[in-house]
Amino acid sequence: MSEAQVNLQGNCLSLSGVLDYTSGPQLREQGGRLLRGLAGEQLQIDCQAVSKSSSVGLALLLAFMRDAQAQGKTVRIVGLPEDMRQIAEVCALDECLPLGDS
Amino acid sequence: MSVDNAYAVELKGLTFRRGARTIFDKVDIRIPRGKVTGIMGPSGCGKTTLLRLIAAQLRPHAGEVWVNQCNLPQLSRSELFHMRKQFGVLFQSGALFTDLNVFENVAFPLRVHTHLPEEMIRDIVLMKLQAVGLRGAVELMPDELSGGMKRRVALARAIALDPQILMYDEPFVGQDPIAMGVLVRLIRLLNDALGITSIVVSHDLAETASIADYIYVVGDARVLGHGTPAELMVSEDPQIRQFMQGIPDGPVPFHFPAVDYRSDLLGGAQ
Repeated sequence: MSEAQVNLQGNCLSLSGVLDYTSGPQLREQGGRLLRGLAGEQLQIDCQAVSKSSSVGLALLLAFMRDAQAQGKTVRIVGLPEDMRQIAEVCALDECLPLGDS
Repeated sequence: MSVDNAYAVELKGLTFRRGARTIFDKVDIRIPRGKVTGIMGPSGCGKTTLLRLIAAQLRPHAGEVWVNQCNLPQLSRSELFHMRKQFGVLFQSGALFTDLNVFENVAFPLRVHTHLPEEMIRDIVLMKLQAVGLRGAVELMPDELSGGMKRRVALARAIALDPQILMYDEPFVGQDPIAMGVLVRLIRLLNDALGITSIVVSHDLAETASIADYIYVVGDARVLGHGTPAELMVSEDPQIRQFMQGIPDGPVPFHFPAVDYRSDLLGGAQ
């Protein structure tokens, strides 16, 4: 199983690995810290390297969206994998997530 | 060792007794991964006991219970604690905590099993309640909910930790037709969209047959038969036929064993 990570390069926050109840708390904390130094008007969250996700992955996206919103930034989410899409659909989150092309 | 990845749960030679009564005698059951499997049989045949054996709440007297390459009766208490996170159970009664509101009921497993911060717990609770259509009921107490709503809240709680295996114990009992329809749709949706393996224990034939991909019929401490709903409907086996077609008398007699009726009423008088 690949280790979960969150990294910020420019205005792109990328998530990778397994997003679950074990990795979630640390990813939230690290991501929140990284976003404090966010420059520019827009945040892009890239999920292309996520290998597996539970509902925690969606809760992380919502948390990072709130962080960006508090700084007055707009958000775009790209590369949402199939399992995250399905959870988003069942929980009717698709209308809340600003999905862009990957 | 369980090697076949096509099955989420495998029971091999499972034997369980209560006192002198054998509830299951060397039962073999394989639950296909990602499908809805119905476990059916007359009331009192041990269906709920079977769920409790799969969830490792009971230990079999003999046999194996394989879940994801682990034989549950051989696991330690702490291993079982972690293993149980893979299971969601919708109890027959709903089993909501009566002193906690809807939000706290669904949040409960997240608080017990994870270290997620409060904001993420809130997100996940609202997502699960949205999935069952009850996000608006988040502040209500269980005694303010109808029977059908209680069961949907219990379902939201059962899926809070994204279980791989979801077990339903008599989900349709006491539900009005609308609530029943909602539950049938939800069970199928959660199974298909989230890739969950669903086990539905029920004696409600029409509802279970309408959602199950595969059905096991249990009774007399053994598996009476198994197959797709369509296969079981045309079974020639007398016990399967009696159950599937709801015939009151047959191999399972209508009358509980009793002394002769005439002598019971008239005693020795002729």
